[in-house]
This record gives sequence, C-alpha cells and structure tokens, in this order.
Amino acid sequence: MSPVTIGIIGIVVMLIMFLLRLPIAFAMALVGFAGFAYLSTTQAAFGILARDIFEQFYSYPLSVIPMFIIMGTFAYASGISRRLYDTAYTWVGQLRGGLTIATVFACAGFGAICGSSTATAATMGKIALPEMKRYNYDDTLATGTVAASGTLGILIPPSTVLIVYGILTEESIGKLFIAGLLPGILLSIFFAAAVFLICLRNPALGPPGAPTSWGKKARSLTGVIETLILFGLVIGGLFLGWFSPTQAGAIGALGAIVIGLARRELNWRAFYEATKDGLLTSCMVLFIITGATIFGHFMAISRIPFVLADWLGGLPLPTMGIVGIISFIFFIGGFFMDSMALIVLLIPIIYPLLVSLNIDLIWFGVIVVLLGEMGVITPPVGVNVFVIKGIAPDVPLESIFKGIMPFLVALIICLLILMAFPQIATFLPSFARY
Amino acid sequence: MAGILVMVLITGIDVVGAKIFLWRLFGAIDMVQLSQIVAIAFACAFTLIVGRHVRVEFLVARLPRRAQGVIDSFVSLLGLGLFILIIWRLYVLGHTFQTTGESTPTAYIPLYPFAYGIALASIPVCLLFLQELISSLAKVVKR
Repeated sequence: MSPVTIGIIGIVVMLIMFLLRLPIAFAMALVGFAGFAYLSTTQAAFGILARDIFEQFYSYPLSVIPMFIIMGTFAYASGISRRLYDTAYTWVGQLRGGLTIATVFACAGFGAICGSSTATAATMGKIALPEMKRYNYDDTLATGTVAASGTLGILIPPSTVLIVYGILTEESIGKLFIAGLLPGILLSIFFAAAVFLICLRNPALGPPGAPTSWGKKARSLTGVIETLILFGLVIGGLFLGWFSPTQAGAIGALGAIVIGLARRELNWRAFYEATKDGLLTSCMVLFIITGATIFGHFMAISRIPFVLADWLGGLPLPTMGIVGIISFIFFIGGFFMDSMALIVLLIPIIYPLLVSLNIDLIWFGVIVVLLGEMGVITPPVGVNVFVIKGIAPDVPLESIFKGIMPFLVALIICLLILMAFPQIATFLPSFARY
Repeated sequence: MAGILVMVLITGIDVVGAKIFLWRLFGAIDMVQLSQIVAIAFACAFTLIVGRHVRVEFLVARLPRRAQGVIDSFVSLLGLGLFILIIWRLYVLGHTFQTTGESTPTAYIPLYPFAYGIALASIPVCLLFLQELISSLAKVVKR
C-alpha cells in the first residue's frame, strides 16, 4: 500500500476512535504513533512519541495558552463579567430584546479579556439567563443568544483558537489578535441586530425593560473601565511590541487578580477555583496540540498534505473558489468536532496548500475562527449549546439549537463579507509591531 | 496548580523587572517551561476524572447500555496501552537526558527529572483507564 493510502486509512481509523469516545487528543496520538511506526520504523515512532510529548509540554511558545486561559478564569472570578453585563443592560435594556442585546455586548466585552467561547458562554449564561427568565424572555431566544454570543470569545482578542492557529502556521499571534478585533465588533453588531429584528417582529419574545436616566447610564460606565484598562494593557502592549504573547497573558492574569482584590471580589475560594479551572482547560488544550503534533508527523510522512495541496491547487478554480471548498470542509467538520480539535487536525493538512496559493494566513485565521464559531453552535456536537443546556436544564436541546439559527445566518453573512472585503481583518495588523 | 501559578508569577516578575527596573529575572524562560511540564503532566489524570478531555459523545450515548460497555472497554484498553507506552518511552527519554547531561539553555537545570516526572504523572492516568476498563467490563457482563 502507498503511504497516501495508509494515511487515509489512518484518518478513517482516527475518526472511528473519535466516534467511540476516546478523547480526541489520545486518539490523534495513538493513530499518529501507529501510522508513523508502520510507514517508518517502530524505533523511530518511539522516539517521536516521547520527544513530541516532552517538547510540547516544554515549549515556551505554547506557554501563551495557559497564560491567556488563566487570565479569563481570573477575570470571571474577579466579577468583571457581572459588571460588564450590568453596564450593557443599563445602556440597552429599554430596547425591545434589551436583555438579550445586553448579553451580546457583555459577551463581546468579556471576549476582550477571555479567549474561550465555552468560558464566555458559561460565564454569561450564569448571569444573563436567570435575568431573562425573570423578565419573561422567550427561552429559545435567550438560550440561543447566550450560546451564539459566547463564540465572540474566540474572535475578539485574546483568543485561544487564534493562538493555536498562530502556532500551527507560525504566524504572529499579536497580528492575529488584532485581525480579530474589527470582525469581532462587526459580528457583535450583527448579533445585536438579529435580536432586535426578531423582537421587532414578535415583541412578546423580548419585552423592553424600564428606561434608565442618562446619569445612571454614565455612572454605569465605571463597570467597563477595568475591562478597557486590562484589554488596552494586554492587546495594546502586544500591538506596540511591549510584550511577547506569553508576557501579555501573564500581565493580563496578574491584572485580573489585582482588579479582583481591589474590588474585594476575589476571595481564596474563587482564586482556587479559577486556578483549577484554568489549569484543567490548559491541560486539555495542550494535550490536543501534542496529539495533533504526533498525528502531524504521521500525515507528513504519508505525504497526504502535499498530495491534497497539489490536487486542490490543480483544480480549475480561482483562489477564492478553493478557499470556499476549504471553508465548506471546515463547516461540515464543525458539525462533528470541537473548533480547537478541528483546527489542529485540518490546518497541518491544508497548510502547504494555503502557502502555495499565497493566501494571507492572518486573514485566513479569522475565517477559520468564524467557521469554528459555527461549529460550536451547530448540532450534533455544539459545545456551547451543551454548556447552556447545563445552565438551563429545563430548556430542551432542540429549542436551544433552534435559537441559534438567526445567529448562524449572521455568522454566514459576516463570513461572506470578510471574504469579499479581507481588509476588515488585514487593515489593523498592518500597523502591528509584533 | 502551583505549576501554572509559578508560570504566571515568574513571567510577571520578569516583565515588570525588565520594563520598569531594567532588570531581568535570571532563567525566567527556563523556569516557565519547566513549570509548564509539571503543571500539564500532573493535571492530566484529574482532567480525565472530571471529563474535561474533549470527546465526541453523540454516538455512543445513544447506544444500549451493554453496547456502550463493550465500546468503553475497548476504548479504555486503547488508552491504557497508549499511556503504558508513554510511561516507558518517557522513562527511556529521561535516562537518555541523564546520560547525555541535557539541560535548559540559560539556568542549566537538568531536564531528566522532568522527563521522569511526565512518566510518573502518567501512572495515575493508566490506573484510571484500568479502573474504567474493569467497570466497563462489569457493565458488559452484568445482566
């Protein structure tokens, strides 16, 4: 059998292992090891297994992941998310669907200090869902909004998905972060517009709240000052080249701790839980990357990425047509896999093709994140939907999936706009120094 | 948990020192890298216990209890095999580091205890897969 055939068999076996509920990281490592041993030698595969594990855990570039993850968990423990929500509600609560619009903007704000979509959805879900229930908001609209808006966490910098993408493609993480900013703002506006239009057609779904005075609105802005300072310090520091990504994450985490202590919100118990949560998420992500690295060695020796690149590159299609096919593969993959797992699996395979087609990898990173966002809210494996189901157990899963549909449309429109106008993603990074 | 806090603290001290006092913490990057090994390797078993390693759940969850037991036994066996391999090969790698005297580039901290550490941290993961294997087999056998 040719190496390509072995590679294809390996991919199929790995997908079967995924379906059998073996953790994704371990399935990739196991198949990668076995495939490499078959195509090379068992001794070489032993070497790859041990070296890859040690080198990934020892990797300084990868230390950016725990840093930004723990920054997000400390930000939650410091009560930043609740104050963001209160401010957003004070400003837009009197509109139709005001609570849901406030949720969208609070998620966008929390996304500016947290790099995970599930963490953003879980954090805001715990705060926003009880409020929306209290004001008789429609369950489908409420849960769908939180599940979808949580995805803003991986588009608005910092973003764990963009960090991993940057490591896999050797692109500047600072530039990727900056690239996600304008699309993130655009998507937040689209999400808010979607809610507003839904409630305009059917006001009973999201009744308006009591109006607030301009004085109260102005006073509520104190709730976002700390977020702006933290975001400005971390992302601004990266943008201006003051910090490396790892340093920026550490400063952000320490900043979140300082805010929590100054606000007297961060007690010992919250600190312990935030550290534990950050560690477990970091462990999960680093194991996935390690598994993907071992699997990537198998893919490289099977020559599948290069054959695929040659085949797709030889199709009589313009570059955007090929990008469309790749996007479709990501979109379909997102139905069955978590966004992080999808990216670490597919990026090494398509990377040679992206390079040979001279595709702007910063712009493509943002496209990949948007596709990943669709993946975390679409059935059957919509991680954010499951998170929200855990917070609102009385709402049927089908209702939550139904609730994300308008946001999926908004995501697709945003994706098409970004494909038509790549400058939305590439304009700001052209000024970045890191 | 101490590992991840040390990473944040050392990087923070290094950055503040470098930017404000023009003083760098000696071996900061080495210490961050080694703390990361400790944090991630020793968190693996607990991450598995609390179900935080990403799995695709939608298919097996729909199957009858007995079929689930058969699949879970097979999957646990695969996991057990993988981690036995990891313990063995990381031990061999640690021994290689020890004989060649490999160390971190700045502070010259020997690397071999950390390779042994990953092997050691993988033992509880093996035990978890073993326990999962036994309970899955029990599910298959039980009427």
